[in-house]
Amino acid sequence: MSILDKIYKWLDDRFKLRDLLPPIVKHPAPEYAVTNPLYCLGGIAFLCFLILVGTGIFLAMYYKPTPLEAYKSVENIMTAVPMGSLVRSIHHWAANTMIAAVMLHMMRIYFMGAYKKPRELNWVVGVTLLLITTTFGFSGYLLPWDQLSFWATKIGTGIAGSLPIIGQYISLLLMGGSDIGNETMTRFFAIHVLILPATIAILLGLHFAMIRIQGISGRL
Amino acid sequence: MSLIEIEKHEVEEEHHEQVRVRGLPFFPHFLLREIVVMCFVAGSLILLASLYPAGLQTPADPFTTPEPIFPEWYFLYVYGFLKFWTWNLGPIEAKIIGVTLPMVVWYGLLFLLPFIDRNPSSDIRKRKVAVALGVIALLGILYFTYFGIVHH
Repeated sequence: MSILDKIYKWLDDRFKLRDLLPPIVKHPAPEYAVTNPLYCLGGIAFLCFLILVGTGIFLAMYYKPTPLEAYKSVENIMTAVPMGSLVRSIHHWAANTMIAAVMLHMMRIYFMGAYKKPRELNWVVGVTLLLITTTFGFSGYLLPWDQLSFWATKIGTGIAGSLPIIGQYISLLLMGGSDIGNETMTRFFAIHVLILPATIAILLGLHFAMIRIQGISGRL
Repeated sequence: MSLIEIEKHEVEEEHHEQVRVRGLPFFPHFLLREIVVMCFVAGSLILLASLYPAGLQTPADPFTTPEPIFPEWYFLYVYGFLKFWTWNLGPIEAKIIGVTLPMVVWYGLLFLLPFIDRNPSSDIRKRKVAVALGVIALLGILYFTYFGIVHH
């Protein structure tokens, strides 16, 4: 028994430290979930999300969501703001990693058959989370207002707009007009920093609560 | 190491009695693994961000189309499929199929998956059809992503 264990035991004998720990800490995790690295993918996606929130708040303090100012403010972040270039690059890489991790996480769930009864609803929430994550990426792509942003958004809104029946409404709702401009930029900004974060926070809460209640699905 | 036994309440078709699996306490075993992975991922992100900073091209110009233009990599398969599908099906235009199939139909199938796949087994050997379909879907997405890159 190491010295740390002895100190812990001495304190635990007197203060019942174990009872103070929140229940999640005492909750056992199946051995395969601890040893198999494939079970990390969801956690990696969540870590990326937390990093994105942090770096995103930083970026929002310097970013100006209008077509006239956006490009200059991003240029300012990249060249003048202390650590700005690093923070924006981490935001960029965390976003791509998060999407990849969510997709790989979904593949693990599929091939292990972990979406089956009683976890059907958690799978549905998970697919919604994938949709939200890619929409995050899509809306964030426009914000620097450079050539890549503009034309990639042109393709994206074009594809969404050619869906039958609802396409034209989605396109109008996203762009706020017939072309990408002022309205599009403020809409994408609002979607990216207000609507999607609120939605994803609620759905992540549901996703984790359901795992907590139902446990991690069985072995391979 | 403190090993504890936990009960697995999943009811499977062959054995209805509870299966016992070895469990490790969330703290510190599970948490320690998570922290190690988190450090590794955070470090990798900082390394990637330092070596390959996020780019910034010239300001947006609605009157000059740059060449080539690509959508984000995770939408490339939609773009690739749209380029791939050039056949009208009766009154339905090729373009409508090209966007509906990889977006509406594909996501619809994903959402409904647990209600379509009624096979209760999670044993990979008893799910040959599901695994085969999954591999086909995966190869399809990779192929259309490739198609989208080549035929921009």
